[in-house]
Amino acid sequence: MLVEISVVVYMLVVFGFVAWNIKKGSFLIDPSILVPVLIFIGALAVALLAFMGIDFGIATTTIMKIGAAGILFSGTIPMVAAGIGLLRFGDEYGINIFYARNHIGGVVDCVASLVMIFVGLLIVRLDLAAVGFFFFMLLPFTSNALANSYYYSYQRRIKQ
Amino acid sequence: MIDLSFLNSFAESAFFWSALIFSFACSFTGLAAIRLSLKGEAVTSLMAVSTFTTVAGVSLFLISLPELFNVGFARDTAIALLVVGSIGTIIFARLFRMGK
Repeated sequence: MLVEISVVVYMLVVFGFVAWNIKKGSFLIDPSILVPVLIFIGALAVALLAFMGIDFGIATTTIMKIGAAGILFSGTIPMVAAGIGLLRFGDEYGINIFYARNHIGGVVDCVASLVMIFVGLLIVRLDLAAVGFFFFMLLPFTSNALANSYYYSYQRRIKQ
Repeated sequence: MIDLSFLNSFAESAFFWSALIFSFACSFTGLAAIRLSLKGEAVTSLMAVSTFTTVAGVSLFLISLPELFNVGFARDTAIALLVVGSIGTIIFARLFRMGK
């Protein structure tokens, strides 16, 4: 029972932090500070567990899996927000709404690829990280090709 | 004093539930993308289908993990969806751009 309660608390903390960031529109804590601090806390926890007599490999795997869970929780809120955005922005907003939808699609792709990269690295599944990295490299080309094709097809329709 | 068994079960449980909740979020976004692909024009449909392949690929990759459901063949399907889906989107976008 204590484990489930801890998971719910962990989930609510991560959800709240990410939702607060999205509501604010910028980072509450700058990522150049937040990421090293989180890595330092993880390393400190591993060192503490190793100092308590727990095997170093098991301690590292456990702490990294907790970090991977945090990344998956933090990817949930932007994914749901992007889904709401895709449902919300209808054709009544005019012809240029495609670019907003393309931006939302870019958010979905970016969240998915970053989650794949970092979760793959943290649970030591390098195939997951490699596919995520390949997908992350392809993302700008895909979005640019879509926007480009929409622009030129719209110009062609105007001429006709 | 922190017990290792508690920490292990917390890590397993947190990873399982986080991956499951993320998969549900991906499913929600996928449903929104399908709706958009059915009501939009050609390029909008292409963009929505590209988004759907992304979320489907990530969800399939997550359920192929041994920590979750260990569905082995889902991994190959996910790789095919993610790689071929992106390249196919680029190719079809080029075709739409040329008006063919």
